[in-house]
Amino acid sequence: MSSDPDKMMSKADKMTKLTLTRWSADWRGATELYEQAANGFRASNKYEKAKVALEKASKGQEMQASPWDAAKHMESAAALAQKLSIWNEVVDFYRKASELYVECGRAQPASDALGKAARALEDVKPDDAIQLYTDACEILEEDGRDQMAFDLYRACANVYIKLEKFTDAATFFLRLGVAADKCDATNSQCKAYLSAIILYLYAHDLQQAEKCYNDCSQIDAFLKSDQSRSASRLLTAYNEGDIEEIKKVASSSTVSNLDHMIIKLARKLPTGDVTAIQMNTNDDLDEDDLT
Amino acid sequence: MGVVDLITRVNSICKKYEKYDLNKQREANVSGDDAFSRLYSAVESALETVLQKTEDLSSETNKAKAVAMNAEIRRTKARLLEGIPKLQRLALKQVKGLSKEELDVRNDLVLSLRDKIEAIPETSAPVVGGWEASTSYSNIRFDTNVSDHRIGSEYFEPTGESDQFKQEYEMKRIKQASDQGLDYIAEGLDTLKNMAQDINEELDRQEPLMDEIDTKIDKAATDLKSTNVRLKDTVTKLRSSRNFCIDIILLCILLGIAAFIYK
Repeated sequence: MSSDPDKMMSKADKMTKLTLTRWSADWRGATELYEQAANGFRASNKYEKAKVALEKASKGQEMQASPWDAAKHMESAAALAQKLSIWNEVVDFYRKASELYVECGRAQPASDALGKAARALEDVKPDDAIQLYTDACEILEEDGRDQMAFDLYRACANVYIKLEKFTDAATFFLRLGVAADKCDATNSQCKAYLSAIILYLYAHDLQQAEKCYNDCSQIDAFLKSDQSRSASRLLTAYNEGDIEEIKKVASSSTVSNLDHMIIKLARKLPTGDVTAIQMNTNDDLDEDDLT
Repeated sequence: MGVVDLITRVNSICKKYEKYDLNKQREANVSGDDAFSRLYSAVESALETVLQKTEDLSSETNKAKAVAMNAEIRRTKARLLEGIPKLQRLALKQVKGLSKEELDVRNDLVLSLRDKIEAIPETSAPVVGGWEASTSYSNIRFDTNVSDHRIGSEYFEPTGESDQFKQEYEMKRIKQASDQGLDYIAEGLDTLKNMAQDINEELDRQEPLMDEIDTKIDKAATDLKSTNVRLKDTVTKLRSSRNFCIDIILLCILLGIAAFIYK
């Protein structure tokens, strides 16, 4: 057993290639060699080669019908790709890992993998990150574990806020509300709705905000909550053009318990002239208020 | 919601440090860093906030708000004037490293501060009897703790309404501490409620996970038990004395054969 990772790699490659003398690839041995080679490369900081070794190890595990190990190797490969900033490989590897996890029937690690990928890409490729977050949430919802999806929805909405796409962010908060409704997490649900209303207000969209508030009031839990009271105070303050009141509501404790990004936006309310908002017929965005 | 806690903490820390900044500016004027200068700068900052409030008051159109702000200003003034005697006592105390002149200077500072506080104007709509927007001593002194009896009757005529206002103000002063305390408590309760609800949801979220862990660990434990039993059997079999003796005898035979061959 040579200690040189390169030699191990070439040996393992030979084991997997079919030739006249070798009629069936020896995946088990090859996988072991690949794993050792990868460790060796990582120890010597040759990340590119370690990544390749992990990829091949993962393939080997797949051939041996152990998707769990394969997925784990894929994740490590993806982490290395992240270190090397090869972003499309990061996406591919994490997606592959997630599929393998789904094959094992484990939804949580699958969505975790996608979540990690999305977090890695947040700054670099936000659109891809959003797509990854959405996929991760879908996986969890299919498995019936909605509560885990909350964090992902929030992270996704934060990405949208960073991109200044406030209505999209509000949509995600409403989706959070739906997920919370399914698992009776009323506090999170109400906070999500209040956040959505604040986002609409921040985007100068008073009609949308009011529509959103009316829709959400159909839900009993929201109607009776503190958040709904704050929302109605905010909306009446907007309608009356009372800037003082807006500022008071924005610095109240109900708002201060929301996400930090939302708190920042709430403190910046009102955006623009309040009386003008009423007369301003905003271009109606054709998105559903509630999913 | 660790972030919310972080934000509250950062806010309070920033507030603390802001205080230090202002203190440093003032301590450049007032020498030494003892109790006196600290208290003095605290009183001065409170004085400034009150002055700011009076400015806001002058631009206030809503009468009810104006009345409320007036009451606030009077309240703060009373509190500040209460602090003045303490400040005077501190000023007269001899502190290490402080010269005689500085001591006198301190005394003067205290007196001037007191004048400044008493000079805080309270503009309100003229009530029957003419409480004017004035900066004269006697009008203002009425509103302080110090001398209630100095209601110079030449300055205004007490009417039923003004008596009522006086009574209201007295009651408000008495309730002021409890009001403030209740406000603090309300804020704290809000935060607690939110944290408690979050904890509730988190526990709900973790319950099925714990159940899963439980089943998995049970399975692992039974596996471990059976493995242990098998291992014990194997080890006893290996170390049973019969096998051991057989091994020794065979070893001796081998040694004998080897010795025979080599001889």
